[in-house]
Parts: sequence; C-alpha cells; structure tokens
Amino acid sequence: MFEVLIDQFWSLTLAGISLGFIYVLVSLGYTMVYGVLRMINFANSEIFMWGTFGTIITSRDIFGYTQTSAPATGGKLALVLISQLIMSMAVAGLTAIFVEYVAYRRLRAKGTNRLATLISAIGISIVLSELMRLLTDSRPVGSPRVLEKIILTEVWGANIRLDTIVTIFAAALIYFLLERFVQLSRMGKAIRAVSMNEDAAKLMGVNLNRVITTTFLVGGLATGAAAFFYITVFEYSKFNIGFTMGMAAFTAAVLGGIGNIRGAFYGGLFLGLLEVYASAVLGTQWKAVTVFIVLVLVLLFKPNGLFGEAVQTTRA
Amino acid sequence: MAKIGKTLLKLDNVTMKFGGVTALNGVNLEVKEGEILALIGPNGAGKTTVFNVITGVYKQTSGVVDFDGISLGDQKRYQVTALGVARTFQNIRLWGDMTALENVITATDVHKKSGLVGALFGFPRARREEEENREKAMEILRFIGIDEYSDRLAKNLPYGVQRRLEIARALGTSPKLVLLDEPAAGFNPAEKVELAATIKRVRDAGYTVLLIEHDMSLIMGISDRVVVLDFGTKIADDIPSVVQNDPRVIEAYLGVPADAS
Amino acid sequence: MKIRNYWNLRDFGANLWENAGRPVRVAIVLGSILLVGLLPFMGGSILATPIAAFDAVLVYPVGMFVLMSLGLNIVVGKSGMLDLGYVAFFAIGAYTMAYLGTTTNLNTWEIMPIGIALAMIAGVLLGIPTLRLRGDYLAIVTLGFGEIVRLILLNSTWSKGPNGIANIPMPPDLGPLKFELKNQRVFFWVVMAMILLTIWMIRRLTVRRPGRAWEAIRQDEDAAELMGIHTLKYKIWSFTLGAAVGGAAGVLFASKNLYIAPEMFTLNVSILILACVVFGGIGNIWGVVIGAAILGYLPDRIRFISDARLLAFGLVLVVVMNFRPDGLLPRKKREKAIVKREANA
Repeated sequence: MFEVLIDQFWSLTLAGISLGFIYVLVSLGYTMVYGVLRMINFANSEIFMWGTFGTIITSRDIFGYTQTSAPATGGKLALVLISQLIMSMAVAGLTAIFVEYVAYRRLRAKGTNRLATLISAIGISIVLSELMRLLTDSRPVGSPRVLEKIILTEVWGANIRLDTIVTIFAAALIYFLLERFVQLSRMGKAIRAVSMNEDAAKLMGVNLNRVITTTFLVGGLATGAAAFFYITVFEYSKFNIGFTMGMAAFTAAVLGGIGNIRGAFYGGLFLGLLEVYASAVLGTQWKAVTVFIVLVLVLLFKPNGLFGEAVQTTRA
Repeated sequence: MAKIGKTLLKLDNVTMKFGGVTALNGVNLEVKEGEILALIGPNGAGKTTVFNVITGVYKQTSGVVDFDGISLGDQKRYQVTALGVARTFQNIRLWGDMTALENVITATDVHKKSGLVGALFGFPRARREEEENREKAMEILRFIGIDEYSDRLAKNLPYGVQRRLEIARALGTSPKLVLLDEPAAGFNPAEKVELAATIKRVRDAGYTVLLIEHDMSLIMGISDRVVVLDFGTKIADDIPSVVQNDPRVIEAYLGVPADAS
Repeated sequence: MKIRNYWNLRDFGANLWENAGRPVRVAIVLGSILLVGLLPFMGGSILATPIAAFDAVLVYPVGMFVLMSLGLNIVVGKSGMLDLGYVAFFAIGAYTMAYLGTTTNLNTWEIMPIGIALAMIAGVLLGIPTLRLRGDYLAIVTLGFGEIVRLILLNSTWSKGPNGIANIPMPPDLGPLKFELKNQRVFFWVVMAMILLTIWMIRRLTVRRPGRAWEAIRQDEDAAELMGIHTLKYKIWSFTLGAAVGGAAGVLFASKNLYIAPEMFTLNVSILILACVVFGGIGNIWGVVIGAAILGYLPDRIRFISDARLLAFGLVLVVVMNFRPDGLLPRKKREKAIVKREANA
C-alpha cells in the first residue's frame, strides 16, 4: 500500500508542491473575496475553468499549435507561454468582474439577505459551466504541448521536469507580486481596510464598489494564472473541471484561515502535498474524497484554520 | 414597592479580555430578587459586555457568574434563557417577519415540553400547550400595553412599539431576571415616562430587572440601586441619591451632560 | 393598488381560502386532489409531451421534482439554510432500494422506511459538524457531500460502480392498482400521496413550535438562541426532515426506473431542485409546488429547452434572485386581517 509513496517520495513531493502552488493561486480567489465581502465567491471554480480555455485558445487558435506540432523553443517558447499566461489571466479576470457585476452587485445594493446572494452566485456558476459545456459539446479539450517536458536532472531518484520547475517558480513569483500589491499599493491597503472593518473604511472615503471589483479582479487574475499552470502540467480541460479544483482550493483557503492571504499560501501547499501522497496510498479515485474529509475535519475541529484567523461560526 | 429578597445574580471578579483589550476588569455585581438595578457608565464602559457575559454570548476570561446557585459560564446560551434570564437588545432584534404575537409565543416555547413529534401528530399535550402559550403571550402583550398590535408584523410596527415588544418577548420566556439594554433609546420625554411606569410594573409583577440606560432622570426615578462602570471597572454601587453625588462618578460620567444621548 | 390585488396570486388564494367555510374548504381540497389525480388521463390534450409519454413525465420529472422541492424547501425555505447536496439523500434512498431490492426479498414498501431512515442518519451525521457553521460553509460542505456520495457509489463494488444496479423490482400491486411501465398512472398517484403527506407534515410543523423555531432561526439566529431556542437541534431536525423526503423520493425513483447508476445523481439534480424552490417562491409551499411542476414539465414540453435545461435553470436562479427574490408566489405574510380592517376604516 505504501510502496508507491516510499519509492517515489521525492517525485511525489515535487508534484505536490507544483499542484500546491496552483491551489495557492486559486484559493486567493476565494480568500480575498471572502475577506472583503464575508461571502464565498462561489463562481471561482468556473472562473478557473474559463481561464484554462483562455490558455488553450492562445496556443491552439492564435499560435496555431496542434497536438502533433513540435514544442516551441527559445524566444518563441517564451512568447507563447507569456501570451498564454496573459490570456488566461485576462479571461479569468474579466469573468470574475462579470460575476461580481451580475451576481453580487445588484443584490448588495439592495441589501438583500445572504441566502439570495449565495443562490445568485451559484446560478452564475452554473451558467458559466453550462455555457462552456454547450460550446465544447461536453467533450474534453486537449491542449497542444508548447513546453516540452524535458527531464532536467535527477535528484534522489526524482526526475526534475522542466514544466514542474517552471510552475513552481513562476507561480511563487506571481503569488509574491500579488501579495506585495495587497500589502503595499494604495488599492491593496483599501482592500485590507475593508476586510477589517467595512464601515470604518467607508468613513475613511474608500470607494467600496471599486474595492470590491478590484478584489474580484485580483482574485480572478490569480485564478487565471493558476489555470495556465494547470494546463501546462495536465494539458487538457473540460467544462466540469472547475468543481474538483474549486473544492480543493476552497479547502486550502479554509485550512489557511479564510480571509487570510498568507494562510492561503500554507493551506495550498499543505493540501497539494497531502493530495499527492494520499493518491499514492489510496489511489487517485479517492482524491476528492480525501480533500472533502480534510475540509470537514478542519471545519469541525479547527474552524479558524491551521495557519491563521477566522472562519466565523454563527456565533460571531 | 416590592420586597427585596436574596441575591439572584452574582458576578464575582469577572474579567473579559478581547485580545489585548480589557473590556471588564474584575467586576463584582449583585442583583437581588425584586429590585431594579441600573447599570450606567460612559460609552465603551463595558455595560453591554456585562449582558453578553451573563447571557453567554461571550465566555468570561476569568471570574464566576452565578445565577440562583448555578454557574452560568458552563451553560449554553439557550440554556441560560431556560434557567430564567432573558434580555432585550440595544439595536432591536425582533423577528421582523413574524407578528408581534408570534414573537412572544416563540419566546414562550422555551418551557414547552412537547417537541417535533408532538407537533406533527397533534398530541393532546401539544395542542393544550399551544393554546396555553397563545393565551399567555396575549396576556403579556396586554400587560405591556401593546395588545392592539398583536397581528401586525414586527417589522411594520412603530419604533416605540418595537422597543416594547422586545420587553414583551423577553417576558415571554418567563424569566426571573430581565436584562434591558437601553430600552428608552430614541424615546421622547413623554415616552420615557411611560416606559418608566412599565418597567416598574414589570418589577411589581415579580420580575427582577437589570437595566442599562443613559437617561439619568429615568434611572434616578425608578432604580433601587445604581452600579457605575468606567473602563470596565466598577467605580460605584449604591442607592441613586448617593451615586449621584459620588465625585468619581461625576468625573467619569455625570461630568458630561446627562442627556447627551 | 387595487390592480395589484388581481395579480397577487398569493393573496387571491389566501382570501378565497379564508372567506370559505369548512364545507367549502373540504370541497376545494378534494376537488383539487381529484383534478390533479386525473392528470394522467390528459395525455392526448395540448399538455402532451413530444418525446416521453405524458404519464411518465408526470411521475419523473414533474412529480418527483415537486416532492423533492418540498423536502428541500424545509431546509432552504423554512430555516434558511442552503443545502446544495440534496441529491445525496435522493441517491441514498435510491441505492437502498436498488441494493435491498435486488439482494433481499423485501418489497418497495418495506424498503421505504429503511431508505428514509438511512437518509435521515446521513443527514444527522453531516448536520452535526456543519450546521454550527455559517450559511456559506454549509452550502459548500453539502455541495462536497453530494459529490462524495456519488464518488463512493462510483468506486464501490457493492454498488457495482459505474455500471449501476439493474433489475430493481417494481412495487407490488396495491389491490386493484397495478404498477406498469407503459402506463405510469399508479406511480403518479403514489407520488401524489407522498406529496400530500409531505405538505401535511410541513403545514403541521409550521404553525407549531418547530415552525416558529425555524422561522426565528431564519430571521435572526443569534436572537433565536438568546431567546432560548436550541438552534442546532432545530436546524438538524430541519435538515433531517428534508433528507427524509429526499430519501423517500429516491426509493420510489429506483423502484420506478428499475435501473440506477451514479451518473443519475450528479450535482445537477441538486441545482435543478434548488431552482424549482427558488422559482416558485422560497418558503411558500404552494409556490414551490407550482414552481417545481412548471420547471419539471416545461423542458419536456418545449424541446429546445431540454438540452440547455441546466443553463436555463442557472439563469432562473440569477434572474429570480436579482429581480424577484420572493419567486412566483412569495412567502406568506400574515397581516391580512389587520390590513383589511384598516383599509375599511
């Protein structure tokens, strides 16, 4: 049962870290919106799914790659990858703004109860995923390989592949930039002010609607970047991949203490590793079950997360 | 005036800290059966925190809250109510989509024996209890003087009636001790006089009253004793006329115009 | 103001009911039951459905949707908790029927209580850890739960994995009433009976203590608890009763469909049922019944909707919440008597 885990421990660890960074970025979409709205961004999973198609369209339709074409090299490679990343982030960012505008804003202005907003958000995520289902005819869509999966070197029996390394370093960089943005920029400070105390922030002249839209946008950009890395590693997408990703990333956000950006970092990495190890032991079909059990256990015993603050229970 | 009896509620050296902020600092407080005790102090003195500790919204950092021989710190919030402590809220928190009568009936349910199964099959006990509670709730509305509004949705009631309905709802739980959190907030002088009379009637009907209020004339008129909090510490505890002249109180509280709220 | 009254179906219905004496009320109830009961004979009329037989459509989706929506409405409408994993209880009921029906001699009616009990147990087990949490967490945890149940069914050997379970027995005949596949009117009457039973249950509970507790929790949970309501207990009850109705629907569904597989129990079912509740009017029994009947029926009547059914239902959720959050028939507001008195004065 444990042979696979022991045999391939280091390659699994590496895979876990790169998956973990994807979770980190997607969970930012949950955690940031939660911090500002105290509400779950239900459609974030579908924002991610739309982002993956942004990546695929760029290489397949803009640069004309097919399943059989040779992977890119040199300057062309960098150009394609960066265009894919930008496209993915743009698609996800715009989708996030759309979601905020259609599903949240009107209800917030009317001051309707949370249940209505929640249902509206679920509605929009269904619309997003069904629209893609109809567009793709319910079929999985493969992504042409742009980045060749070269084995760079071998350490402790683990193959260190190029795509894994690119994912880990680029995702870490993007996380770092977004975190700096929230910590240092004027808008980032406004976002944090609203997270701490909405009324006080409003008194200080913060434009709430702008802050909320920006938060959705930043969360969407992070999620879009994750979608790009996901495609680089897994090389296919489908209209329903958002669900599993959303569950996992949300769990990561809760693990880290939802509303807490740094918590999302630890939570994502932790969950990425856990999921990879657990799949090696139990088999991949139980991956989602493991994630769900982690979520329930955390909510049950550590509702504030393992690494940080505040899931609010009904008591708050 | 009702006879003042044994100690009903006792806060013994209660401290409540939120992170680094000390909201209550070693507060001792006794409420005796049948009295009207007023709790006053400047904004942020910790008055509502006292209520929240008593009713179990917060768990005190240290100290003991004893109610009729039972330590309230170990009780769940709904159990505190069943033991005989009921409260009103500073910012009205009625169930807006229920009628006034239903608000009070729902409160009377605390002491009902029959539960879901009884309700489903209409057991005689469940039916009888339904009937009794409706009667009792109506009686309370009459007692508070708002029975003419019984069929109106709480959210559509005039502000003053909502405040009174909060008191009626608290009485619905058949409490021994009623905690009133600024029941006269937003009232004009005439309404305040009326409310004072109501509070007195509540006490004379056998309830013990612990009251947070800003209006000094209201407090001086009806309370048997006044406790003053300042920055989470008790600085005075005596009959109104003595408290009124206590220099520390004047400095902390009466120094500002009494009708500032 | 006057014109609005004609459009306000809820008040129109409520007035009709309230001004009627007891004999009239009994007549209205019996008459409506009879009329609905005769629906399976209307297959030749304008109501006819192009693809599936009309009587089959009446059982599934229409009847089943109504039944499940009523169950979900106890959770979402009465106590204000969003349960997105409702399909799990439906699946538990269905698999109980399928497994016991194919491996033991028990018949549908004997398995029914077992299926209901198992669904309720699942409800309690899921409810205890999650119902303390705020609404959005419940939503996401139940969402996960619904998917987990499907994954377990998909990957277990007893449930025959993705192949599903076939040859599930039909219910034994009820006296002269025979269950047939080519004419499903008896199934329809059974669903109808279950719907009536559920409505009776909800109405009983709503006017008494549990209904008030749910209502108080929905409107202000903290105030409810401080007024002595054991909120967790009532939330679990609400959740569990909803689960029971879902489980019952599942048992009957399996016994009607004769074959079930995990792919029938996806998240989509939960969303469809939620759309039915929201469309008709959260919290209003009659709204839910009408909403579910319409949303269950339309995709079968109008062909082009059926492929984009889920898309349409997602749009229903967004549009209804944004423009008419109370749905077709809004929740009952009990202020009629007094308002009338004022209007006359």
